[in-house]
Amino acid sequence: MAILNDKEKLMLKIQSCSFAMKEAELFLDTHPRCAEAIEYYQKHKQMNEQYTKEYAEKYGVITMDQQSSEKKWNWTETPFPWERSVD
Amino acid sequence: MWQYEKKLQYPVKIKNPDPALAKVIISQLGGPDGELAASLRYLSQRYSAPTREVQAILNDIGTEELSHMEMIGTILYQLTRNLSIKEIKESGFDVYFVDHTAAIYPIAASGVPFSADYFQSKGDPLTDLHEDLAAEQKARTTYDNILRLADDPDVRDPIKFLREREIVHYQRFGEALRKTQDLLDSKNFYAFNPSFDK
Repeated sequence: MAILNDKEKLMLKIQSCSFAMKEAELFLDTHPRCAEAIEYYQKHKQMNEQYTKEYAEKYGVITMDQQSSEKKWNWTETPFPWERSVD
Repeated sequence: MWQYEKKLQYPVKIKNPDPALAKVIISQLGGPDGELAASLRYLSQRYSAPTREVQAILNDIGTEELSHMEMIGTILYQLTRNLSIKEIKESGFDVYFVDHTAAIYPIAASGVPFSADYFQSKGDPLTDLHEDLAAEQKARTTYDNILRLADDPDVRDPIKFLREREIVHYQRFGEALRKTQDLLDSKNFYAFNPSFDK
């Protein structure tokens, strides 16, 4: 993979955590009583929340409800993810 | 309902445009075994699924397929940026360009536009889950073929991720099928529709 800047490194952490959550979600759909998978899900959920909050503060919101400013709409300030250089 | 997250499920960052490669990868957007067909298949089938677990697996895999459609769209977008007319002509991308310029439009590699003919929603969970298992294998085969055609590591990396997801989804659908069969009445060993023929 290409050399990543700090912003991309943080995004990669978010992507890793939310992927771990997605994988656990599907597994739990067919193994709803697996305590180990629930614990795995919770652990990555907490990490994901922390990284997502940090990302929103430093680089911009990922979901609209992270909007914080009362004066301007942050959603349109940051690029959509198909743009290659995420800057 | 859904909430959009401004991120890809897995990073896509392609340095070098390659319109000839975009022409084949587009099949995983709008082709017979592509991500659009996958998401519509599962999100359509989920309503008549027999149990909450099977509903959940269809709902949640169908949702993941939407993020795969976005990844394929991003790969296509990045493979077709800043093209010269010479590159468009020489790569054979001209036949797409004439109708869509460099926009993203769901077609198969052959040029056939996306069609709901590519999937079924049959209202019989055994029928539907067998289709879903086959669909995951067909998509995995298509990704194998794309990996045979693509050399660029920037392209191969996200394609390998998507290929692996087909294998995981196949596993989960296999579990959903087993759970559905476990619920069948002992008189129903020919596996008639357990959602309709009570």
